[in-house]
Amino acid sequence: MKGIKALLAVVAAMSISTMAMAQGIDDPARAGHYAAFKGKRVVFVPIAMGFDLTEGWAAGIRSALEPLGVKFEIRDPNWNTDAGAQAITSLIAEKPDAIVVHNPDVQSYARLLKRAEEAGIYVIQVNMRSSYSTDGFAGADYVGMGERIANRLIDKCSPANGGNGKIAIMQGVLTAAASAYQMKGLDNVLSKHPEMKIVSNQAADWDATKARSIMATVLQQHPDLCGGVGFWDVMDVGTGAAIRESGKKVHWITQGGGNQAACDNLNKDVYSEVVSYDVPAQARDIADIIQSLFQNKPKPGATKTTLFSPLTFITKDNMKPGACWTLETKK
Amino acid sequence: MSITDTIAYWRYRLVPDHIVGEILAKRWIDNAIPFAILVAVLVGFGTAVPDFLSLGSMTALTRQLGEFGLVVLAMTIVMLAGGIDLSVGSVLALANITALAMLNIFGLPVGVACVITLAVGASVGLVNGLLIGYLRLRAFLTTLVTLIIVRSIVDMLLLKFAVQISAGFVDSAVWDFIGDGKVAQVPFSFALFLLIAIVVHVVLSRTRPGWHLMAVGGSRRSAHNVGIHVRRTICLTYVVSGTLAALAGFLFAARLGGAGSDVGIGLEITVLTAAVLGGNSLGGGRGSAAKAVLGAITVMIIINGLVRVGAGSGANSLILGLILLAAVAIDVRWLKNRHKVLAKVYVSPAFRSLPAAPGTERDSASPYALNDRLRDVSPVGLNQVDGPEDVILDENDHIYAGTRTGDIVRFFAPDYTQQEVFAHVGGRPLGMAFARDGALICCIGGMGLYRIGMDRQISKLTDETNRTPFSIIDDARLRLADDLDIAPDGRIFFSEATVRYEMHEWPVDGLESRGNGRIICYDPLSNTTRTVLRNLNFPNGICMTQDGQSFLFAETWSCSVSRYHFDGPKAGKVETVIPDLPGHPDNINRASDGTYWLALVGVRTPSMDLALRMPGFRRRMARRVAPDEWLFPNINTGCIVRFDESGRILDTLWDLGGENHPMITSMREHRGHLYIGGIFNNRIGQLPLAGADPDWTGTRSYWGDEK
Amino acid sequence: MLRAANLTQERIVLVLALVLTAGFAISLPGFLTPENLLALVRSVSVLGVLGIAMALVVIGRGIDLSLVAVMAVSLAWTLNLLANGMPLGIALLLGLGFCLLSGLITGFLVAYVEIPAIFATLAMGTFIYGFGRYFLITLDVVYLPDAARSIVWIGSGAFMGIPVPVLIFAGVCLLGALFLRYVKSGRFIRAIGDNPLAARIAGIPVRPVIVMQYALSGLIGFVAGLVTATSVASMNIRVANSTFVYDVILVVVLGGIGLSGGKGGVRNVIVGTLLIGVLINGMTIMDIQYTVQNVIKSLILLAAIVADTIINPRDEQTAQQGDI
Repeated sequence: MKGIKALLAVVAAMSISTMAMAQGIDDPARAGHYAAFKGKRVVFVPIAMGFDLTEGWAAGIRSALEPLGVKFEIRDPNWNTDAGAQAITSLIAEKPDAIVVHNPDVQSYARLLKRAEEAGIYVIQVNMRSSYSTDGFAGADYVGMGERIANRLIDKCSPANGGNGKIAIMQGVLTAAASAYQMKGLDNVLSKHPEMKIVSNQAADWDATKARSIMATVLQQHPDLCGGVGFWDVMDVGTGAAIRESGKKVHWITQGGGNQAACDNLNKDVYSEVVSYDVPAQARDIADIIQSLFQNKPKPGATKTTLFSPLTFITKDNMKPGACWTLETKK
Repeated sequence: MSITDTIAYWRYRLVPDHIVGEILAKRWIDNAIPFAILVAVLVGFGTAVPDFLSLGSMTALTRQLGEFGLVVLAMTIVMLAGGIDLSVGSVLALANITALAMLNIFGLPVGVACVITLAVGASVGLVNGLLIGYLRLRAFLTTLVTLIIVRSIVDMLLLKFAVQISAGFVDSAVWDFIGDGKVAQVPFSFALFLLIAIVVHVVLSRTRPGWHLMAVGGSRRSAHNVGIHVRRTICLTYVVSGTLAALAGFLFAARLGGAGSDVGIGLEITVLTAAVLGGNSLGGGRGSAAKAVLGAITVMIIINGLVRVGAGSGANSLILGLILLAAVAIDVRWLKNRHKVLAKVYVSPAFRSLPAAPGTERDSASPYALNDRLRDVSPVGLNQVDGPEDVILDENDHIYAGTRTGDIVRFFAPDYTQQEVFAHVGGRPLGMAFARDGALICCIGGMGLYRIGMDRQISKLTDETNRTPFSIIDDARLRLADDLDIAPDGRIFFSEATVRYEMHEWPVDGLESRGNGRIICYDPLSNTTRTVLRNLNFPNGICMTQDGQSFLFAETWSCSVSRYHFDGPKAGKVETVIPDLPGHPDNINRASDGTYWLALVGVRTPSMDLALRMPGFRRRMARRVAPDEWLFPNINTGCIVRFDESGRILDTLWDLGGENHPMITSMREHRGHLYIGGIFNNRIGQLPLAGADPDWTGTRSYWGDEK
Repeated sequence: MLRAANLTQERIVLVLALVLTAGFAISLPGFLTPENLLALVRSVSVLGVLGIAMALVVIGRGIDLSLVAVMAVSLAWTLNLLANGMPLGIALLLGLGFCLLSGLITGFLVAYVEIPAIFATLAMGTFIYGFGRYFLITLDVVYLPDAARSIVWIGSGAFMGIPVPVLIFAGVCLLGALFLRYVKSGRFIRAIGDNPLAARIAGIPVRPVIVMQYALSGLIGFVAGLVTATSVASMNIRVANSTFVYDVILVVVLGGIGLSGGKGGVRNVIVGTLLIGVLINGMTIMDIQYTVQNVIKSLILLAAIVADTIINPRDEQTAQQGDI
């Protein structure tokens, strides 16, 4: 009897192993990898949905995480900082596994984000950093971006290069990280170039209509404006319209997520140059940070990862097909 | 009683139809729709969002609610006075940046920063107030302009300080507590909001400045004409509004600590929405702190809930707009139709079966047989006195009578051609009696029980009694004190005809015949007022019996006279003396021979007797027919009867044909004459009584010859 | 006759505008050039067109806070339809129809459901924005598609040297004035605004006229939207959530059209718009910062209102209750 049993066991073991052999070798990390995402929930709190950046991020994160079984939700405060704070506050009570936050300014959410981490939620900030550093940040290096744009403006407008040095700056919200850090970068460079004159430095609250009226004002004051920088391409549609209406030639550099609309507007000469921080890549970065956090399971707040997005300067001349992305292809 | 009558009797006794009308008549019912909306919203989001109603989620919600609610209160106060303050959002932003600048840049202590912040808000409010209150600018336009100005100032401050504020960090336990702390499990800001809401409620409903504010909002012109400082009141509302908005901004700064440029943008719209949704009307006059709280909670839940449902900004606005439209549409329709509904359902008749009326045929054997004995009445003060419900004479034979204009007039003996206003009491003077000290005690409809001394000093004896438990109507207040009499020990028993109707609607109570009246005892020794008998069918006349231990009282719509023993062996008992009068009894007074005079204000009609047994019919009538067309008890033609304590009718005095004195509500015997009053009459009747004691007076009958 | 009572708010504002113009003309070189004056009017023409729409409603004792939302959403939808290949004519008609329908609904809510106008239009504005954002368009900003090239002249063209938006403003003003003066329902609007109860007793169909009022305002809003969209080559429906509608109200009321209705006409709107235009233009040339411009603008507005109140004081006895 004993022998038969042993034989059976051997046969059974053999058959199992041959079955395994027939399907290839199992990836030892695989099961653990998927288990790490099982039942996880990620919530995205943008400034507002409905424009290229946030829609692009949402679509990118969703397509990266949902196949893994992560539940992805969006809380839309619709341009209302207070509603956003409400959303985060209630999320702290709901305890999702991670929150992706798009800060409206450097301070408003700082305390809430700290509380969220203390409550055991991973917090990843996107594109605009708050004064409190959390588990992850993916976005443009705004200081560096400001420096590069400043240099670009010097190239175009410095009297040394044939311009008159007159430039304008169209900020978004003054207190937003994008504005504050970028101004720092611009200042780093421009302060060393006294020949460059900032004739106007105003905030248009990310609003094209406001940007348009400010630009119309500036152009009446300074019809010989040489160039300038705007902090968001969607807002700078207004700036561009004012410039075009005036019939002047202004080298306007704007920036954004590299949506197809930006490329279209380059083609239509609404503005001269777009600095793209490539939203799909940023979405990928966010998803990567989240995946890493879920697998390594550090204590929330223990690690701080920063991923700066590579920047591309797109002009009408260097623009290649596919330089910009469309939401349709990302969805 | 037949079976159908029995069924009708119990149907209208057991089903409390009257409650619906009474609830609808309550002032707090005004909040019913806003409250229902709040509940609906809570239930809706509670089911749509998991954990929405959990403690943690509610705590988070209430923290924001604190700030928002304060601004809604601010807006409500301004709206109550008939204005609007669109600048609240900008003021909040200004306060936010002020507080942050004070703390982050100038490093001031939290307390000082708070005072400065509030002062900044108050000064913006003062500017609004001066412009709108004193210069009389239009509120909408002015605050719109200040909204833009303050917003621009905030923008300029942001340009200057935003970066510095972002860089700074406040290290203060107090600051953290304000932004993050809890008072007894409730977030600090919410606790503060509740406290301020209660203060606002008390100020609005219990203090003079609050009444002035409500008066200005209710009718600015009238408020001005009665001497309220309209301009100052309005100015102050804006100062308060600015201060409260600044306080909210301070809390906002403590909670978020960010000087974003979108702070408070569009807040005025949300706040206005909350205030209106709570039931505060634009243009003033209607509203309260409770409504503001209701509206604030509702809107906060909607906004928070929509963000948490995660439907996207488009859907959020879509749903928000729809909810607002629906809520306000319902509220508007409700407001418009409530009084119509109320008018339809308030009258809730009960079943009442009266015993067969005794005959009154002329020359018949009936004690009530018609005659012309009132033909000889000679009028006193013809066309000079308007509605003397009761008349009384003093030892000097002067006649006192209450009039419709709220006076007690005195006609001088002996010829009664001279008259004067003895006292102006306001209200509607009804039953009267002389107290032992010679003071005139008077029931005043709409006011209560009053004493008028011979020095014409008017003093209130009582205007409230103990409230009936579970009564929806506040029956502690005296609505219609009708007639009184005074026991030998000085206790005053008086009737309140109905607790459901105001003075001028008293005939409608007869249509209802529910038994809404009561008899109340006021004890001058302990200065207490207690209700002694309830659910009487329009108790009217009251007269002490000769034994001083009981009194007789008439119930007008029951056509009966009863006797209540308040002292002696039968204390607490009610006995029916006359169950089946041919008419509706009014006042009862003593006659010189120890019997009693009774006035019948009108005679029963077969149609009304029948209708009383058909409450359904009367209810349909009240709902479908205009009040002018209603079937009322006859209160036009009556008579005077004399009866004794056994209920035997001894005498009946009619004015057949109604030439001299058809309408009778009271009569007084005095020195061989009978003086007759009537609530709609333009005269007092004087009738010589054959065989009556020519020296007998009522005062002496009660108080002897002491004087 | 130089009686104080003759100095209505309209005249005060007109005088103010003239004084400012004179002042700018003397102190600012280049202010009085025809190009600058045209630019001045052009910059406020959309505001003016919307002002006419608002004025029609305000004269009828209403207010239309949904005006900007209707304008933005209808145009954004039209542009979106165009981008998806719909023929220009049909897309424009659909946009127009959207405006008309929104106006009818708002009017119904105000006239028949009797929701106070300020609140009904407020909620309708939110609703229309949400509806458009959820059902009609995907992104906040809709760019002018190439299919709409043929209508770009509306916003950016010029006719005999005069920018088309200015001509449109003038046209709308003319039509508005003619409507208010010579068309029966236009005169009804004024009667209703003056005293709705009396108007009803007099047999004027008050409710239908109120509905028409809002429908008209929606239609004019579409025209204003067309000018905006074609001049910025895009339509950002976030403008529906901005304070733009306040500027429109300001223009209307500044010119002397009382919010209590019945008073004023197209002339008042023109005067109010011109004052704003002169102010903005002058300050622009003077190189005043955008935010400071707002403060100065508002202070001058305030001064105009205060002047009116001092010259034409409101009496406690005759002031209307609930007139905010």
